[in-house]
Amino acid sequence: MRCAPPIWLGLMSAVLTLTAAAQPSVSLDPQTIGQPPVSSWTTFNGDYSGQRYSALKQITAANVDQLTQRWVYKITSVGAQRGAPEPVIKCTPLLVNGVLYITIPDHVWALDAHTGKEIWHYEWTDHGGHLVGQRGVGIWKTSVYFLTPDNWLIALDTATGRELWRKNFADARKQYFSTSAPIVVKNHVIVGVGGDAMDMPGFLDSFDPETGELQWTWWSTPRAGDPAVKTWPNVTAAEHGGGMTWMPGTYDPELNLLYWPTGNTNPVFAGQGRAGANLWTEAIVALDADTGKLKWYYQVSPHDTHDFDNTTAPILFDRVIDGKPRKLVAQASRNGFFVTLDRVTGKYLVVKSFVPLDYSSGLSPAGEPIPIPDKDPSVGGSINIVNATNWQAPAYNPQTGLFYVNAIEGKAIYYLIDTSTHPSGYGGTGASIGPSEHVLKAIDPLTGNSVWTHEYSNLNNAPTTLGASILTTAGNLLVSGDDQRSFIIFSADKGTILWHLDLPANESSGIITYMLDGQQWLLFAAGDSLYAYSLPGK
Amino acid sequence: MRCRSVGVALASGFALFVITAISQEMQPAQTGANPTAEQRAAATRVFLGLGRPPDKAAAQRAVPVYQQSCAFCHGPQARGATGPGLITSDIVLGDDHGEVLVPFLKAGRPEKGMPAFSRLADPQLTDLAEFLHQQVEDVANRGAYQVQNIVVGDAVKGQAYVAANCMTCHNTTSFAHIASKYRSPDQLQRNWIWPTRPADNSLSVSATVKIANGPTLSGRVTQVSDFRITLVDNDGKTHVIERGPGVAVQIKDPLAPHQALVMTLRNEDMHNVTAYLETLK
Repeated sequence: MRCAPPIWLGLMSAVLTLTAAAQPSVSLDPQTIGQPPVSSWTTFNGDYSGQRYSALKQITAANVDQLTQRWVYKITSVGAQRGAPEPVIKCTPLLVNGVLYITIPDHVWALDAHTGKEIWHYEWTDHGGHLVGQRGVGIWKTSVYFLTPDNWLIALDTATGRELWRKNFADARKQYFSTSAPIVVKNHVIVGVGGDAMDMPGFLDSFDPETGELQWTWWSTPRAGDPAVKTWPNVTAAEHGGGMTWMPGTYDPELNLLYWPTGNTNPVFAGQGRAGANLWTEAIVALDADTGKLKWYYQVSPHDTHDFDNTTAPILFDRVIDGKPRKLVAQASRNGFFVTLDRVTGKYLVVKSFVPLDYSSGLSPAGEPIPIPDKDPSVGGSINIVNATNWQAPAYNPQTGLFYVNAIEGKAIYYLIDTSTHPSGYGGTGASIGPSEHVLKAIDPLTGNSVWTHEYSNLNNAPTTLGASILTTAGNLLVSGDDQRSFIIFSADKGTILWHLDLPANESSGIITYMLDGQQWLLFAAGDSLYAYSLPGK
Repeated sequence: MRCRSVGVALASGFALFVITAISQEMQPAQTGANPTAEQRAAATRVFLGLGRPPDKAAAQRAVPVYQQSCAFCHGPQARGATGPGLITSDIVLGDDHGEVLVPFLKAGRPEKGMPAFSRLADPQLTDLAEFLHQQVEDVANRGAYQVQNIVVGDAVKGQAYVAANCMTCHNTTSFAHIASKYRSPDQLQRNWIWPTRPADNSLSVSATVKIANGPTLSGRVTQVSDFRITLVDNDGKTHVIERGPGVAVQIKDPLAPHQALVMTLRNEDMHNVTAYLETLK
């Protein structure tokens, strides 16, 4: 039952507002999607690698203090949404032909990148789902792809925002909800899904960008007959085992492989009904982009019982090791381990904790952390780490060779609530205990060691799921922010603070940079507003 | 410009019972500082888009019928036994007020061994629908979860742990009647490990700020960032000091030993100490 009942169709409505007289023509050549970003930002991470690295170097340590605000776009037409008192822009904006595309749940805007003026606004009326965030759109030729909280993939015209087609791909009544940014690869629109309240299986869908026809589905847990079922007690447990795909993956065009992070296992905190490693939840999986077939997997958290929800970006980069060029993938996982794998084979090179933790007794032959059972949630409580990071984008800078992540160091007490032999849902809970600190880490991906760290000073605990994303540039910049409404630019090589800006809210979106009219711009959001900065005009 | 001048803890007294690690986001924005269990459940229901709350009274009325007629195949909580679990059933989740389930139950699914329940009156079937919706609610609405009785440790061993580890800073009167100060053992447990900083500021973070060619200020820290520190001095005067070259900040946290405790405490010791302190009503 992957489609909404037809009766709902009559209730659907969408509102389109065109606010500019001149509609720019926006068309993105599919060949350019995923190329390193220069004068555009064509996909969630800028390119397919997930590095969030820009080769631009007009802005440097020498002139960063001259950054000047060019415009601010504030969302004023949307009030409180269900469960969200005010709009927070959590997307990574895309930029094509001088037009920016931004989102919040149920809303898409096209803005003029020169002025921040609205070109069109598309509004969706949802019937269910979770309005917790929206990560942005995908673009292909003259189509914009947008996911709604109630799991519709909607294609819009880039120039006008007019709806071209829509397709429902998951049932909101099963607590599936969608926040992700579709990733367009060749003639595939790759769509992931979220929702772990009700023990449903995760999946990844591929749709035809022209027609919306489903091309393939990859399930995050095995179906009957698959050898991986042996990592579950039975097929039913596997079919209700979670593993959501709610953050965009990365892609290697040469290998034609998608690298996707899979989320937490279900039931979430109560693992007694699902003995085994629980493949392919809590993993990095490599999938053939044309068929969705699994090429390899590496499971970061076998038999997770802490909602470690492995959804951070697997970043692709190449290095020479022992004289040999290597294709690598690295991830700062939410379970507190930093991993570097060979992305051709999935074999591990580095597995090392990047926050203080004591829940693992060592590594399996495949390099997977082995959990200590005493650290599982229990009725009396069990202390373990809070999620060591979350959805906010990490980055990799090929010039410094460093991987950057905003980490959280802290502990929580995890309680098992559902002690039955067949637990369901979350089955437990966690409560943070003691200080949780946000620490920016620059990690050498060939050793897993931090080369430098920056503890953001704060008397309050780090928010568990909020915090700034990261962008890094050839100008030796690392752009991020703290939890006290400061937008901060560090040097990428040493972590020295070069410049900061006080904002009305915490940095909340993906941070992008691009050349526009001969100048390098920085674009980011804080709360309900989008901010555009550049050096002063020449 | 590095912020942490000494290796002492920076921390807060923020101690609401919040879920730390839900997949995408934690909890809905709380409407007040101390929401009731009902408010928390209702807010989470809205946050998750769970729709209409089930009718608890109707669900309760259906318990005998369900246990007698349904539980054998579908399990006592509708999570499946010889028959399928119903919590994620399309039919259950597609139903709002019995409009789908009542006709379905009347007809049954004889081809799959599910009998027709035409002998039950409509109100009984509606109650059964509410019972099933309540089972979904109990699983899906994590805001309605309540921890079990968490007192599982050995009080005698807990007393020995306290005697061996806590008396450098505390004395026996520190713990007198401690259990009566908290409404539940899990509140007691979290507070003995990481105490809420009291309103009298006796456990507040303090700092000394030395400004080159300027005054040295000290007092209670109300906030600190990489760029400024806010102090309240002994006269109650607030100072906002921009941090930068020539400004040295030294911070002291009276709860630093408790931060060390959080990082090293073994589960068994935690359970035992809670069991001991729970005896001190």
